[in-house]
Amino acid sequence: MKFHVLAAAGLGLALATAAGAKAKQDYIVTGAKPDHMFVLDPTAKTVVADFKIPNANSWVGAIVPSPDARVGYVLVNKMESISGIDLASGKEVFRANLSSGDERVKCLFAFDVTPDGKELIVYEVPVKLGLSEYQVEETRFAVFKTADGLDAKPVRQFPAPRRVHTLLNRKDGKSFYAIGFDLYEFDRQSGKQLGVRGIRNWDYANHSIPDLLAFWPVSEPSGSFATPLYSTVPPAAGKGEPVAKTALMTLDLKSGDLQYHDFEDTSALIFSSVLNPTKTEAFGVYSQLSKIDMKSNTLTKRIDLDHTYYAVLMSTDGKEVYAAGAMCNVAIFDTATLDKKGDIRLPGCTDQSITSPRVIRR
Amino acid sequence: MSGMKPTNKKAELLLEAASAGHVQEVVAMESVAGCATTFDPGWEVDPFGGVASLCQPMEADLYGCSDPCWWPAQVPDTMNTYPNWDASSPSAQNDWRELDSVFPKK
Repeated sequence: MKFHVLAAAGLGLALATAAGAKAKQDYIVTGAKPDHMFVLDPTAKTVVADFKIPNANSWVGAIVPSPDARVGYVLVNKMESISGIDLASGKEVFRANLSSGDERVKCLFAFDVTPDGKELIVYEVPVKLGLSEYQVEETRFAVFKTADGLDAKPVRQFPAPRRVHTLLNRKDGKSFYAIGFDLYEFDRQSGKQLGVRGIRNWDYANHSIPDLLAFWPVSEPSGSFATPLYSTVPPAAGKGEPVAKTALMTLDLKSGDLQYHDFEDTSALIFSSVLNPTKTEAFGVYSQLSKIDMKSNTLTKRIDLDHTYYAVLMSTDGKEVYAAGAMCNVAIFDTATLDKKGDIRLPGCTDQSITSPRVIRR
Repeated sequence: MSGMKPTNKKAELLLEAASAGHVQEVVAMESVAGCATTFDPGWEVDPFGGVASLCQPMEADLYGCSDPCWWPAQVPDTMNTYPNWDASSPSAQNDWRELDSVFPKK
């Protein structure tokens, strides 16, 4: 396996982890084509490590860090494999190839590691490849043990709804959420559906069915997931065009509290959003960086970005917001002013595309 | 939809659905991803009827849309027929000239 750790900073990360000698700090883990997993230091604004993901097949997608921040699980191989990369050494320590025989299985971004770090829950979309036809099979959840190494096979499987694109474990580890047309909750062990709450079938007076695009499964540092939703309400005067509204949906992974609140008449697109540690502010990105006050549900500031970013992250202390994804850099902003504080350019400038960068602390 | 004129078949269908009260059956982009399930023809205009809110630059969005087969009509099918279309061009902004058209094999 080929990998390299960049200079002394990466070595420092590995050694500090082993010895426990260094105070914990934030790192950003991101992926890029064709087979990169990067570890970035946002404080030093440097690339700490550039790991090569084996058999990524020019495709690097969603990233899920283990709870202890030692392993980064990443969707690769055109959605057909999940690779676990040791974030200190770069060694592949886990591999689940989802397809087998004449069954092609893709994971459409939705997978998560359980809070105890022992299991990966993966949303699978299987298709049987025949000689003259493809036969669509039923979607399912597959559970893998993270200790099963480089040839992991599912230890449990159970039925799943179609069109799930985000999977998030609850903090108690007993159940998990699947976000699709609606918000579903399933028991981790039995796969029994415990509940369903509306997204497409939301209960939001006078609002149309919402539109959402949510496959960046970020819940750090607040412990809640947040995503923009777009809908329309009737015009105030009762005549004319419906009024487009942008709301934020927030889901607390500990309490299960689900909220939707409009914060503006839609005036800009937002692809993904993140809450600050106190859940008093949210930040969203696309071609602008937006700041939203969660107490008054109002847009408080918006700035133009140098290019479109898909993904947004926050530092654990809530002082910095990071715009990432799409192209080959991560931009750093002050959360109070939205002033740009720096930029980390990825070596080789290959595209992050739809990877979901994450913040880890170690 | 007043003031908007459909210029393709999909837009005509959307207009018909709106006039018949069936617009809620049109749920383009709602939780859909993947070659076989996405029928988004690509961003012809942005949600505001212009182009200013499309991804900037276009190269920022190329692989984000082609990797999950979001644009099945605009780029080769990297899931099935042309899996290596972009394999030697990992940077859209630097390598876009190398991304060629493809043709069915005889």
